Amino acid sequence: MQLRVAERVGRLRWIFLPLGLCALTAVGAHAAADVVGDRVLWCVDRVSAFFDAVFASWSVTAPLVDLVGLSQRSFFARALALAWELSADALIAIPLLGYDERDGKTELRTARALLRKTPTPLRLVRPLATVLVAIAGACSVARMVQGSVQLTLHASLLSHFAAACALFALLLVFVPRAGFRALEHADQKGHLVATGVFGTLVLAPMMLAALYASPLVSFFR
Amino acid sequence: MRRLAPIELLLAALCLWAGWYHTPAGALVRTAGAWIFRTHSTARPLLAYYGAGVYQPHAAPPPLLTAPVPPAQALGYGAWATAEHLGTPAALSARIKALAARLDGVDEAAMLALFCGEEPARYALTRAQDEDGSPRLEDLARALPPRSADCIAQASQALAQAGAYALAWPLPESIRITSPFGMREHPVLGIRRLHAGVDLGTAVGTPVRATAAGVVRRASSDGVNGRILVLDHGRGVTTMYCHNDELLVQDGEHVRRGQVISYSGNTGRSSGPHLHYQLDLGGQAVDPLRYRAGHPRISSAGAAD
Ligand SMILES: [Zn+2]
Repeated sequence: MQLRVAERVGRLRWIFLPLGLCALTAVGAHAAADVVGDRVLWCVDRVSAFFDAVFASWSVTAPLVDLVGLSQRSFFARALALAWELSADALIAIPLLGYDERDGKTELRTARALLRKTPTPLRLVRPLATVLVAIAGACSVARMVQGSVQLTLHASLLSHFAAACALFALLLVFVPRAGFRALEHADQKGHLVATGVFGTLVLAPMMLAALYASPLVSFFR
Repeated sequence: MRRLAPIELLLAALCLWAGWYHTPAGALVRTAGAWIFRTHSTARPLLAYYGAGVYQPHAAPPPLLTAPVPPAQALGYGAWATAEHLGTPAALSARIKALAARLDGVDEAAMLALFCGEEPARYALTRAQDEDGSPRLEDLARALPPRSADCIAQASQALAQAGAYALAWPLPESIRITSPFGMREHPVLGIRRLHAGVDLGTAVGTPVRATAAGVVRRASSDGVNGRILVLDHGRGVTTMYCHNDELLVQDGEHVRRGQVISYSGNTGRSSGPHLHYQLDLGGQAVDPLRYRAGHPRISSAGAAD
């Protein structure tokens, strides 16, 4: 009986695995973009101060200083964070929808072969970013599980356990798959230099932010 | 492998659940769904999902003050300005103090407890401490499930308003206000627009003091704002000082409340020597006089920008 249920659910894997992987990475990208909001605001301040100084030098462009008034700084910082997150989604989360499951051994063998190919920044940046962002996503999901269990059932031990289980399972079952699919996808797309440069510009800071948004240890305290 | 399918399904469901609340796509789907089925949407504007979703724009202006705010009761006033029905500022202030005493003395957690309940606040504080985070409201908010979004927004608004009530004044109070906050005809450009701060007509070289402790976000110069300082006081409170003659602090520097940060001047687009002082809460300019009772001497003649 139990096996039959598992089998029926198993037949739907082709749909829920890619969706889950994509959602996990998108959640991670949001957590990463969110956690460095202060730094984004700092960047916007620097850029805006620079442009204000430039624009204000000529009477024709002076109104532009007012256009982006002082109060709009945080609006722009947030818009920038949103654009950054969406670019990261397009680069690493959307391709995961193309995940096509094979048995574990084949996936491992393919991944190894792909890793042995000449490593170009393109081939490395995207898979690495995918894995780091997926880890940040796993932390975000685990945090949500813990908060919901704690505030619904009021059981601290249970909520800790549920969060640790969710995190562990995601790290074991979903994160490697995301990494594999990213490797495969980067290999197919590996020759486009323009997207590669853009991707690196978007994803390099995203990787740092993702590390910052992954308090792995805190779930096992 | 197939036996794991139910677990994988559960994990995928958890990821989609998190994505529903914590991605722009999720917010868009929720908004679109609410629009199609004509129900109430819990989704916020997309940009409100940053900063852990704590700073909500468009706060209603606070009630008018009848007496000066005692500095020790600023938190109570902040809560009162956000939700008047909760009680008087003095009563709220006492409640927040009692809550803070039980929550490791963290004011952010106490304010969160006032709006979201003590258990969620206590849990969020423990979680933030586990992550070695400074217990800022953003860190506390991240620990709470999506259904707390509304009360978190209220708590953040209350904290920002409390920050506004606790502000000092940049110049001696005897210096008159030459142009108040609000819509007006621009003195130099001659067009109607919002004046986002207050202008204080004062001689070049008057010492300008930081109205609260904070970090210098920006110390720069341009032809419109002149020599300008932006201070970030945390909790969504920012103050700006424009048209200075000389800046005494640099980017990233920490300043104390009352520290002399600049000498006022007449730089930038200005009709005479004055200081333009502006207060922003959660990225929105508000009238600083709303947070001060009986501020003396407003006169509309004099230097402005
Ligand atoms: Zn002004």
